[in-house]
Formats: sequence, C-alpha cells, structure tokens
Amino acid sequence: MTNEAQSVAEAVVGEPAIEKQPFNLLVWMSSRGIFVFTTVLVVVAAIFIDGFASLDNITDVFNRAAPIGIVAVGMTFVVISANYLDLSVVAQVATAAVVLIAVSNESNIPAAMALAFVIALLYGLVNGVAVGVFKANAVIVTLSTTFIGLGILRWFSGGSIYFGPQDGAIRSFGLAKIGPFPLSMIVLILMTLILSFVLTRTNFGFLVRSYGSNRDATRLAGVNTAWVVIGAFTITSIAAMIGGFVLGAFSNTAVSSMSTGFDFRALAAIIVGGTSVFGGRGSVLRTLLGVVFVSVLTNIMVLSGLGFGVQQMAIGALIVAAVSIDSLARKASGT
Amino acid sequence: MSQAQGIQLGQEQGGLVSRIRVTIARRTEGRALALLILVAIATWITEPTAFTAWEVTLGRVALIGLVALGLTAVILMGELDLSVASTLAVCGVVMASIDNLALGVVAALAVGLIIGVVNAFFVVVVGINSFIASLGMLFFLRGAAFVISNEEPVRLASRDAGIAFGKPFLGPLTPRMVIFIVAFIALQVFVTRVRAGREFYAVGGNREAAYDAGIPVRRRIFTGFMISGFVAALAGVINTLERTAADPTAGSTVLLASFAAAIIGGVLLTGGRGSIFGTLLGATSLGILQVALTLTGVQVDVQNIVIGLVLLLAVITDPNSLRTVVGSARSLFQGRSGSHPVG
Amino acid sequence: MRSRYTRWISIFAVLAIVLAACGGDDTSDTTAAGSTDETTADAGGDTYEVFALLPQGNDQPYGSTYLPPMQEEADRLGINLTITNSQYDADKQASECEVAVAANPDLIILWPAVGDTVRPCLEAAADAGIPVTVTNSDVNPEDKDLTAAYSGPDTYGQGVASAEIFCDLAGGEDVGIIMVNGLTGNSTAIDREAGFEDTINDQCPNVTILARQPGNWNKDESQIAASEMITAVGAENIGGVYAADDTMVAGVIDALKARDIDPASLIITSIGNTFLGNPLVKSGELDGTVFQSSSWDGGNAITTAYEVLTESPSERIVKFMPSVKVTADNAEDASVAPEW
Repeated sequence: MTNEAQSVAEAVVGEPAIEKQPFNLLVWMSSRGIFVFTTVLVVVAAIFIDGFASLDNITDVFNRAAPIGIVAVGMTFVVISANYLDLSVVAQVATAAVVLIAVSNESNIPAAMALAFVIALLYGLVNGVAVGVFKANAVIVTLSTTFIGLGILRWFSGGSIYFGPQDGAIRSFGLAKIGPFPLSMIVLILMTLILSFVLTRTNFGFLVRSYGSNRDATRLAGVNTAWVVIGAFTITSIAAMIGGFVLGAFSNTAVSSMSTGFDFRALAAIIVGGTSVFGGRGSVLRTLLGVVFVSVLTNIMVLSGLGFGVQQMAIGALIVAAVSIDSLARKASGT
Repeated sequence: MSQAQGIQLGQEQGGLVSRIRVTIARRTEGRALALLILVAIATWITEPTAFTAWEVTLGRVALIGLVALGLTAVILMGELDLSVASTLAVCGVVMASIDNLALGVVAALAVGLIIGVVNAFFVVVVGINSFIASLGMLFFLRGAAFVISNEEPVRLASRDAGIAFGKPFLGPLTPRMVIFIVAFIALQVFVTRVRAGREFYAVGGNREAAYDAGIPVRRRIFTGFMISGFVAALAGVINTLERTAADPTAGSTVLLASFAAAIIGGVLLTGGRGSIFGTLLGATSLGILQVALTLTGVQVDVQNIVIGLVLLLAVITDPNSLRTVVGSARSLFQGRSGSHPVG
Repeated sequence: MRSRYTRWISIFAVLAIVLAACGGDDTSDTTAAGSTDETTADAGGDTYEVFALLPQGNDQPYGSTYLPPMQEEADRLGINLTITNSQYDADKQASECEVAVAANPDLIILWPAVGDTVRPCLEAAADAGIPVTVTNSDVNPEDKDLTAAYSGPDTYGQGVASAEIFCDLAGGEDVGIIMVNGLTGNSTAIDREAGFEDTINDQCPNVTILARQPGNWNKDESQIAASEMITAVGAENIGGVYAADDTMVAGVIDALKARDIDPASLIITSIGNTFLGNPLVKSGELDGTVFQSSSWDGGNAITTAYEVLTESPSERIVKFMPSVKVTADNAEDASVAPEW
C-alpha cells in the first residue's frame, strides 16, 4: 500500500499551481542523497586508489563527464516534462560534431556553428511538434527522428570520418584547460547554471515542471502546452548540439558513430541524480551530480583495471542501489 | 465473474448492437491495422517476394515480435521493462555455457524468470519506478553477459541440435514461428479470458481503483515482469539455438524495435490501454516493411530514413491525437505572448 | 556523378512509394515509381544478382570506404548488388540471410557479424544451391567447406604483424605496455587482440601488458581510457602502447601529449594506416601500423564473387589482403597511401 500511496503523494506534491517554489522534503532529501553518495565515493577513492587525486586524473574525470553531462542537463527538461527521454540525442550529437568539423574545414567555424544551430532547432521543432501538438509518444517520435537523422547524416557524409586541422581553433578549444578544468567542463558548469536558472526561476521552467506533474491541469489552466513541449525538446537539442561540439573538439575528429549509447547513458545520469521519470520533479544541478557520480565511478573502475563487463554491472547495480536507498529512506521517514 | 474491473463494466449493459459498438470504439488497434494495410499494399506492388516467401517474412516478424509480446504484458500495467534485450543476451550466454542442452535451456528460462522477479521486487517491494529498475538491469545484465562469456561469443556444445532447430518441423513452420504463434495465443487468451490477465488492464488503468476492487496488484506486477523476463529468455534461447552460439552483444536492436511494435500497436505506455493483438499487428507491419526494404536493394541509409518516416507518420496519425491537433494548432498561434518558451 | 544521380532518383522513388502508400488512393503514382526502380535495375543488360550481407556500412568509417569500390567493381562486372547492414547483430544478419536465400540470387557475399553464428545461414544457402563467398572476416575452419571463397584481411594476422613491429623495436628490453582494444565482444576486436597477445607471448615475452581497456573504435573514448590507464600503472612504467586501430592510437598519442610525455620516446604500434594514422607514422609519433586497404577489401569481394560465378572453381579461393607493415621507412610510398 505504501508504494501506491507514495505515487499518489508524488502526484500531489509539487502541485505547481499553488506556489512557484514549495519547499519539498523529498526533493531536498534525494538531492542530498546523490550529493552524499558522490562525496563518499570521491573520498574513498582518494584514500584507497593510487593516482585518483592527481590533477591529471581529475582532468580525465572531467573529460569523461563533460560531453555526456552537457547532453544530460539539457535532456533533463524532456524528462521533467514527463516525456521519458529524447533518443534522438544520439543522432543530434553526431550531426553537430560532423557539421562542426566538416563544414569548418570547407568554410569557417561560425558558418558551421550556424548550420548546426539551424539543425538543432529543426530537431527541437520536429520532436516538439510531434509530441506537443500531435500528442504522439515521445519514445517513438525520437526513435524515428534518430533513424531519419542518422540516415540523412550518413547519406550526406557517406559515413566518413572527418578531422580538424592540427593547429585550428577547434583543436585549441578541445585541448584548453584552466588548472585541471578542461574548457568543456567549464561549458558544462555554465550550461548547468543557465539551465538551472531557466528551470527554477523562469516562467517557462515553471510551466515545464507543472506540465510534467499534471499535464491536464496545466492545459486546463489555459497554458499553451504545445510551446512548453517544443521548448523542452529545443533546449535538449541545443544542449545536444553543444555536447556534439565539445565531443568533436575534444577528439578533433567527427564520425556518425561517435555518440552511440548517449541516449541511455544520459538518462542514467539524470536518474542517478534523482530526477523523477514520472516528470514534474527534478533539477539540473542533480543531473550534474549524477554525471559526476557515474564518471567518477567509471574512472575508479578503469584505474582498478576492471573489465568492461564488470564496469557495466557496477553502473547498473549503482543506478538501482542509489534509487533504492533513496526510496527506502523516504519510506522510513514516513513521507 | 471475471468482469470485476471497473473499466469493463459498461460492456455488461445494453444489447448486442451497443455491445459491438462499444467494442469497436474501445479497440486500440486501428492505427496498427491501417499501417499494416498500407505497408502490405505498397509491398505487394513493389516487392511481392515478401509475400511469396511468406515464411521468411513470418520469421522476421517472429524475431521482432516475440520479445514485444512479453513486453506488452508489462506495459499494460503501466510499467516498463527496458532490460529485455540484455535479458535475451544473458540468457543466451547462460544457456550456451552449460554443456547439457536441456539443462541449459531450463537454466536460461529460469534466469529469465528470476530477472523478472528481481525487476518486480524493486518495483513492488523497494518501491522504485520500473523505468529505473529495468534501466539498471539493462546495464547490469549486459555486463553480466560479458563477464560470463569472457567477452566472446560462446558456442553451443551441440551445434547439430541447434542447426536442426532452425529447420521447418511443422509443414513450412520452424520452431521459432510455432513458439511465436503459441506465445501469441497464450498471452492473448491470458489477458482477455483469464481473470488474472484481465486485471492487468485495471492495474494499468487506475491502480488505486484496482486496489479498492481487491485486485492483488503486487502479485499481478510480479506476474507481468515474470512473463516479460520469461519471453525475453525464450527469445534468447531460440536465437542461441538457431545461431548455434550465444553472442554477449546480442539483441542490440531488440529493445527499441519491441517498443516500436507495441506502441504502433496502440499500447499506451502509461498503461491500461492496448492489446497483445495490437502488438502483433505492429510487429507484422515492421517485419514486412523491413523485409520489403531489404528486397528493394535501396541503400541502407535510405531504408533507415524510410523506416523513420513511416514510424513518425504512424505515431502522429493516431485518431485521438489528430483530433487534438486542430485545437492545439489553433491555440499554438493565439496564446503566443502568454507562454512563449523564452518567457 | 552518375551514382549520386541514381541515388537521388532512388530516394525520391522510395519516398514517392511511401507517400503514395500513405496517401492511399493515388495508385498511378505508385506504379510509376515502381517501374522507375525496375528500369534502373535492368539497365545493366546481362546481370548477376548478388546479395551482400554486411555488418556495417556508412555507419562506420571503414564500411563507408569499403562500399564505393565494391559498388564500382559490381557496376563494371555487371553485377546487381543488394546490400544489407546488420549493425553487428547476428540475429538480424541471420534473418537477412533468410531474405537473401528467398530472393534466390546468383550468389551471396557474406561478411559475418559473428563468425560463430553463420553455419545455419551457410547451410540454408547450400540447400538452395546458392554459392557463398566470404569477405573481410573468414568463417570458422569447419564451416569453410560450405563457402566458395574468402577475400579480405587476415584479422588475426594483423594483430600478429603489429606485434612483430613491436617486438623488433623492443629488442630484448623489458617493456611494459598499455593496450586499447576495439568494441567489446566484436569479432575483429577479439581476433586482433588475440593475434597481438599471442605473438607478444611467443616472440618477446619480455613485453608485458600492464593494463587493457576497450576504446570502442572511438578516438575520444580511447583518449580518456589511455589517460586513466597511465594514471593507474604510472607513467614511468610505460614503455609502449598498442591500440587496435589508428583512430584509437591517435587518441592515445593525444593523451600522452596532454601529460607532456613525448610519444616518440615510447614504442607505439597499431593497425590501419588510415588518414589519421599515416601522418603519425611520418611524424615519428607512431612507430608502426599495418595497412588495411578498404578498397582492396571491397573490390576483391566482388572480383572473387565474379570468379566463382563465371568459373565455378572446384577449390576454395582464398585471397588474403597483404598485411603490409607501415613504418617510417615506407610511410611515404604510394603503395601504402591511406584510404580511410
């Protein structure tokens, strides 16, 4: 019974129509949960794993976190709007990277970025209109745009791998660091701050959360829900584009297969962070923590020489464990 | 009587005519049927081989559809199982790792059931969302498949048995097709004629009401995940037998194809609406489309674009959604200033 | 240019079919589009119908440079190719094989997605009297009698060749190395790893593998994994690197540079000799790589199939792509000009 009561409670909590920023114990607890997990993991690793605390290794963790993190903070909007996930980020990241490098080789970087931006808007619009206006299922809509997008990308690029010049601006960006922070990590932090502001402090962010927790009520309140959905998908698309830029710049290469698995990896980070897949509840900051957590964990396992299979098992187990502890703690606290 | 659930009550009242009308109105397979007819006509005109060699097409449908059938049982209850593809891979690896064929099959199917129980345990007892529980299992089981197989394909000890299994044994039907048909009939009967199965709809439609009506919701969720896990394991067993080896990377295209089949078939991801038959129609449309596109010899990238477009068209042309489109489209350009994304 | 033109014709034909089908009643459009397709197919005159069951295509850099020479050779020899891409899903490839057998072509070209799983496909083709030739990755020894030919690289041999370059450079010294492998579970990755490791153990056991991780054929993943392995084993202990392809070795070299380790001071070998790898050999950062020619691979898949079709040889034809070692000595040669 507690399980069901809880899901009802969740539907009622976050009732955005009442006030913009209700203090929510559950939200506070679960964000503290991932914060505690991440801190404990970092401290334990720093003590027991040789080299973990070195500057070079911190850079590696950030390099791991940045591209997937940028995609995940954007995709948080789709998850919070109760639309499951955006599978097409796989196509979008690869497209942005290929466009950035291929087009800048032919003409210049601003032109490449402008084209990538137009493509990102197109993705956001197509996904958003199909889901928001036609009320189609987001999983299948974004699955089909993945097929179409990757098909078109491979059609035009012939599947080739593109390299940027060794001394170009893209390359310099990919290598640049401030202390142990690669520029890509700074981009991730900036994105997190901006998107966090959008989600918590703007009217649009409020509507996304409200739509995610109760779409019928939001619609009946006279809100134009189609724009809310289009906006959520467009933010995801722009984030995926920036993630593609960062990924392309880091390796100075671009190929249509480079972002395989970004869909579920980004979702895993969002969920480990504690954003509810029911929609409505969640935060961009938590997604950032989720990304850092998964990246630190992967880093530790590679440092320990564990094989790929064990890494996957551990990530799977920790997704379930993190969320289970959270759930059991909530039950124990009687909320 | 088995009509305990609230959503079925209307059917008891009124005569035959209204009953038929209610039945048709409640059917959710319309979109899948329309898509199937269109795909079938287009295929008939351009690539009739897809029908003359119908057993090949049926084989493809069975490949896509089997996992989707089990998945439908879970989705009907408003839950999700993202771990089906990894379940398929790990069960195949378990089976091939055991030298005795019969023992291997039993072990693989048992593992599938256990995976279902574990998924349901996290959902029902621990109380976490099935999307998360099965996402964790997706990664965990894939990793387990790599660890058990030592990251390499595992060959079946008795290859000849595997090869024999891939051959027709009932007329032109191979065991895969027969198992697929049997699984379809069993699940169709289960969710339409058996009380426990019909209660899936109530669990997915309105869980509170289901509780109030005295339906053992927790047990139903366990049953659903066990069906899904078992069917995925069955697919893994069939694949491993037919291929004579288990590949730890198997099933990479299974998860999304299964979801596509179910959703095109009119199964609502939030639960309570849809049917096993709809999933069958969805899988059949996708199967025919894929086989026909292969036969055209058109470049693979173009095939993917076409599949994507067909999926997109199918999913945005749901009669329910089309009705809302007119309204939304109108309001889209009216209330712009009020709720513009930038605002 | 002509192929580009036909490409566009075919996409519009297909789109027309789909749209017409979705439009419903406009059947005249559908038949018109259908007949366009047939005329392009018949244009070749006396043609052979051949199905090519591949596990990759334009979704991978290698496949994307394998396909054009394959298509070119097929057009030249009057072969009408139907190509599939199973994305390394063995079950999907098996189903595509059933489709191919049902279409009853003159020959099937098979690039196994997973070598251990192709026996039933080969038997089905044999039962239908359709000859099968194998490209890129050969089938298991016991399955070879069901196939008429093999052309392609010796994947295991490439790992061997890369290890031989390594052993030569290592001399008798004790060298600790880190290893970056391909996609986990992928047959090419497995074979190359085995070829390299077996040869190291055999010819220069003084070389020890300190750490290994998959780089999934990606430069960025390889770069991060390599950097983490350097942290794990300590930069001072590393005397060399092996990566399973040039894209990944480029990532390793970037990782070394990011830590101010001079790549030239280490022994580094890989496989591929691609556009990315060849310049690294010339600059001395990469000590040696093994040339894999995608145009040889794609072209010979067709010429070998054509030989089988026209000459029905009694012996199994085997054409190995020469595993040419590319080092600073020959990196400038035209014969090893990179292709992908």
